[in-house]
Amino acid sequence: MNFDIDEEQRNFAEHARDFFSEQAGPGTARRLLDEAGDPAPGPRVLAELGFSSLTIPEIAGGVGAELLNMALVAEQAGRQLAGPSLATAARVAVLLEGDEGRLRDVSEGRTVIAVVDGSPAGSSPSMDALSATHFLALDGEDLLLGEGRVSPGEPIDATRGLGFVELTSSEVVCRDARERWERARQVACVVLAAEGLGAADRVVELGIEHARSRETFGRPIGAYQAVKHRLVDDWVAVNQLRSLVWWAAWAADHAPEQLPLAASAAKAYCATTFETACETLIHVLGGIGFTWEHDAHLYWRRAKVDRLLLGDESEHLAAVALQSISAATRAVSGETGTTEVVPV
Amino acid sequence: MDFDDTPDQARLRDAVRQFLVDHDSELAHGDGAYLEEPGTDRVEGLRRTQAILFDAGLIGLTWPKDYGGGGGTNAQQAVVNEELHRARVAGPIGHVGLGMCGPTVLGHGSEDQKQRYIRRLLRADDLWCQLFSEPGSGSDLAALRTKAVRHDDGWHIQGQKVWTTLAQHSRYGILLARTNPEAQKHRGLTMFVVDMESPGVTVRPLRQMNGHQSFNEVFLDDVVIDDSERLGDVDDGWRVALTTLMSERMAVGGGGGELGVRSDALVAHAASRLPQLSDDRRRLTIEALGRVLVESLAARYTGYRLQTSVERGGRPGPEASAGKLTAVRVAHATADLGQRLLGDEAVLARSVEGDWRWATSQASTPGIALAGGADEILRNILGERVLGLPPDSARVAPRPTPPSESR
Ligand SMILES: Cc1cc2nc3c(=O)[nH]c(=O)nc-3n(C[C@H](O)[C@H](O)[C@H](O)COP(=O)(O)OP(=O)(O)OC[C@H]3O[C@@H](n4cnc5c(N)ncnc54)[C@H](O)[C@@H]3O)c2cc1C
Repeated sequence: MNFDIDEEQRNFAEHARDFFSEQAGPGTARRLLDEAGDPAPGPRVLAELGFSSLTIPEIAGGVGAELLNMALVAEQAGRQLAGPSLATAARVAVLLEGDEGRLRDVSEGRTVIAVVDGSPAGSSPSMDALSATHFLALDGEDLLLGEGRVSPGEPIDATRGLGFVELTSSEVVCRDARERWERARQVACVVLAAEGLGAADRVVELGIEHARSRETFGRPIGAYQAVKHRLVDDWVAVNQLRSLVWWAAWAADHAPEQLPLAASAAKAYCATTFETACETLIHVLGGIGFTWEHDAHLYWRRAKVDRLLLGDESEHLAAVALQSISAATRAVSGETGTTEVVPV
Repeated sequence: MDFDDTPDQARLRDAVRQFLVDHDSELAHGDGAYLEEPGTDRVEGLRRTQAILFDAGLIGLTWPKDYGGGGGTNAQQAVVNEELHRARVAGPIGHVGLGMCGPTVLGHGSEDQKQRYIRRLLRADDLWCQLFSEPGSGSDLAALRTKAVRHDDGWHIQGQKVWTTLAQHSRYGILLARTNPEAQKHRGLTMFVVDMESPGVTVRPLRQMNGHQSFNEVFLDDVVIDDSERLGDVDDGWRVALTTLMSERMAVGGGGGELGVRSDALVAHAASRLPQLSDDRRRLTIEALGRVLVESLAARYTGYRLQTSVERGGRPGPEASAGKLTAVRVAHATADLGQRLLGDEAVLARSVEGDWRWATSQASTPGIALAGGADEILRNILGERVLGLPPDSARVAPRPTPPSESR
């Protein structure tokens, strides 16, 4: 047992942090609300640097890294509200598993693939659709890949590239793809939670900075417990979220039987943690926090959208509960072939 | 990062599991660390359990070998703890000694004290208590008034302590007393080991809201303590107390342990109760269960992360306070959900089938939220010492402030 990342991973995250703070940022998120365009750093740059192909095997032109490394990068991407989401990249890597040719096209930036949620004939709003050239969709048990027509809706958070997708051409790339589809979605939940972790961490940091310097009644507002304790609670939650994200990301590669539960736990915990942190930040900032110019609402927008993407909190909480119960029941009945899914 | 056992840890896990199967009938059991059935007293059984576990090398695994410990790692202790939980073994009766007094003696005691005390403490041959809080000083611990005055035959103690857990069963206590009334309040304190059988010590158990008598009033009337029983320097007791408080927060939640009914017991309870609920209620309950489990997993892995970093970098820092905060929250939510799962019987202290765990736990969590630093105090510590926020105005003293102004 060793519940910490290693030195190499720390350096890697540091490198990603520098990159995203130069190449992305809330400024882009604000601009995209007024004029259409790709989020920063955009799909091609992410591919060039190998960030979006982190979990694609080397043989298919990717980096061949574990999901934990992807989560570490996603955390840094989240701090800067970067897009497209690395959750989409990780999901695509799972969906196209074994398909070296197509994965190579993705790794080398020739195709940009988004995943369609809902029916391929007329989808629900789907992430990163606006910057995609191709789409993966589940039709019955078949996994389809094709081109499509995208109609954007009016965004709350424009960096998520949400659009309704209608496939205009498609071919079946995998049959009996249900299990793979589910696993891809779980992996995406982990990465989305990692992005939420980074964003929430940044939000708490902004709140702390402000609470140290802003004075009212002759004292910094951070001296007031009503302010201090709210920030502490958010900080504690972010720190706990990090534990869940790391566990879930680790599980994807090392304990796949724990992934469904861990992914749902991280996704559900992220939903409230990130949203609450944003609400605290806006409140602690006072009037300035309510302005269009301040970055606070851009994080808040991300939180309001991400909490619902890839399944809302209720769905994931129920998944955690039901999986825990069935694991416990299996353990009691002594059913073989199943290791304990829940370490409770 | 590796949440799995190393081969050594896996061997340890197997050995522990086998030991616990073989000795199951000799051990006391329970579904939570401090969970005791109302109206029962099994102190002797719990002491025996701790002794059996110690003799098997399962208690004090990380403590120095010289004094009876195992010289092992936190990770090994975590493996052992997981197996103890799985086997539903009751938490150690000597938790105050293990979590607070022992680390303080190890950190500040003389070689002679360590030799005399630690092994017996680990084995629950002697139980220990922590004599810090007083009627006038709980959160503001350094305001305490119990006096220690030096005479030729040793230190003479006069004063009163309160909320002293286990005092009625303890052979020894660590006692924080004022030795210099002139000095600034944190500077005039000294820590001692007190023999609870000394003349002048009177212990009076107090009945708590959960019906148990775990904590006590302790009156100290001219109790004499030899100078060799001092822990640390004269007037340096605050620094010694900080060792105690830090260890306490690590022990009480910080390391990822659960403070209420354990979540595996909640899952089993839910599995048996859910089918009896109406559809609407079942849906709500499933979501509530998910929420408790997620909080509990988050708290556990955060505690484990802290243990990993302590193992690398030494002493637990103020961030251990976060673990206590969240463990209290989990304990509270677990008790609440467990009780509500009893349906119509949830208004009773015991279900028709005799399930008392949730009602007892719901009457115990208010105490956990206070013991070892109230939630507000922990939030202040985190806010000021981890987040770097400014202190409350009342505590912005004109004189220089010591490292931590509150317990
Ligand atoms: C079950 C139990 C077991 C215990 N065991 C022991 C033991 O073994 N040994 C021992 O020495 N003590 C023990 N205690 C005592 C415990 O440490 C104190 O109860 C605790 O520190 C609070 O002190 P107090 O009771 O004096 O309350 P107070 O300090 O008077 O606090 C009352 C309320 O005011 C709040 N408050 C106080 N100061 C502040 C502040 N600066 N900002 C915001 N809010 C504040 C507190 O959070 C609390 O809600 C135990 C307590 C309990 C409940």
